[in-house]
Amino acid sequence: MRGFFAFTKKEFREHFRTYRIIILAAVFFIFGMFSPLRAKMLPEIFSSLDMQGILINIPEPTYLDAYSQFFKNMTQIGLIVVLLVFSGMITNELTKGTLVIILSKGLPRHTVILSKYLVAVILWTISYAAAAVLNHVYTVYLFNQVSGEGVLFSLFCLWLFGVFMLAVIILASTITQGNYGGLLLSAGILILLMVLNMFPKCQRFNPVSLAANNAGLIANTVSVSDLVPTVWITVGLTALGILLSIFIFQEKQL
Amino acid sequence: MEKLIEYLPFLIPIVLLELLLMVIALVHIFKHENYRFGTRWLWIIIVVFIQIVGPIIYLTIGRSED
Repeated sequence: MRGFFAFTKKEFREHFRTYRIIILAAVFFIFGMFSPLRAKMLPEIFSSLDMQGILINIPEPTYLDAYSQFFKNMTQIGLIVVLLVFSGMITNELTKGTLVIILSKGLPRHTVILSKYLVAVILWTISYAAAAVLNHVYTVYLFNQVSGEGVLFSLFCLWLFGVFMLAVIILASTITQGNYGGLLLSAGILILLMVLNMFPKCQRFNPVSLAANNAGLIANTVSVSDLVPTVWITVGLTALGILLSIFIFQEKQL
Repeated sequence: MEKLIEYLPFLIPIVLLELLLMVIALVHIFKHENYRFGTRWLWIIIVVFIQIVGPIIYLTIGRSED
């Protein structure tokens, strides 16, 4: 247990030193602030342009536009940033050789995986929560009304998808070698899941559904009960990913 | 147009954060000779002209280890 805490502390320090914490904080703060603002400003940007007599009627934006903007930014650039930031979780330290030294001093290998995963989940949770809170505060301020139904569950779904994605990243990073292996393999797995999500029959079992229906949940076009099985499947797959990572890392030649 | 100026106080923190990322990346570029791939000029162009994503790509996959 002492090894676990010491290693976790080292992980936090390393994330800070390699700019990862600054990147996550900056990006998620920007999205939290920018999404409602963009939704609010869009009609005015259009009306300030000289359209040479062409009239474009944009309906008055509501909090729904702010939230769909937020989810669009988060699921596109937000998740890519998470992928870039965490993709070298295991491989970076293996190529540098620093991990071998710690392991030879008797730190159990599963501790490395669990500690790295825990730190990644904590960082994702904090930055995502900060973005969600900022987005909500700005939306309430700019649009005055937000109906709470579905908002929390919708936010939870995207958070859970992030947690699942981190499990995919750590698994990919354990399997592969070199600097970019983890990044390419996790991107490959996620693209495959997105392609599968185009088939309606797969959607129920596919974690990607959790990141695809967020705006619908708030607008009440998707009901919560549709996604409950997906939530459980995602939890199961996440646990499976971590267990597999531990197993593969135990067997891996360093 | 006046309405857009009204939102300026909201936009300033966003611009500041973007600049912060850019400055961190630029300082790192100028302090180092070697990168995992690419040249100094390439990275400067990427970091300055691609908002948000440019500095992030440099700091995550372009930056050399210290």
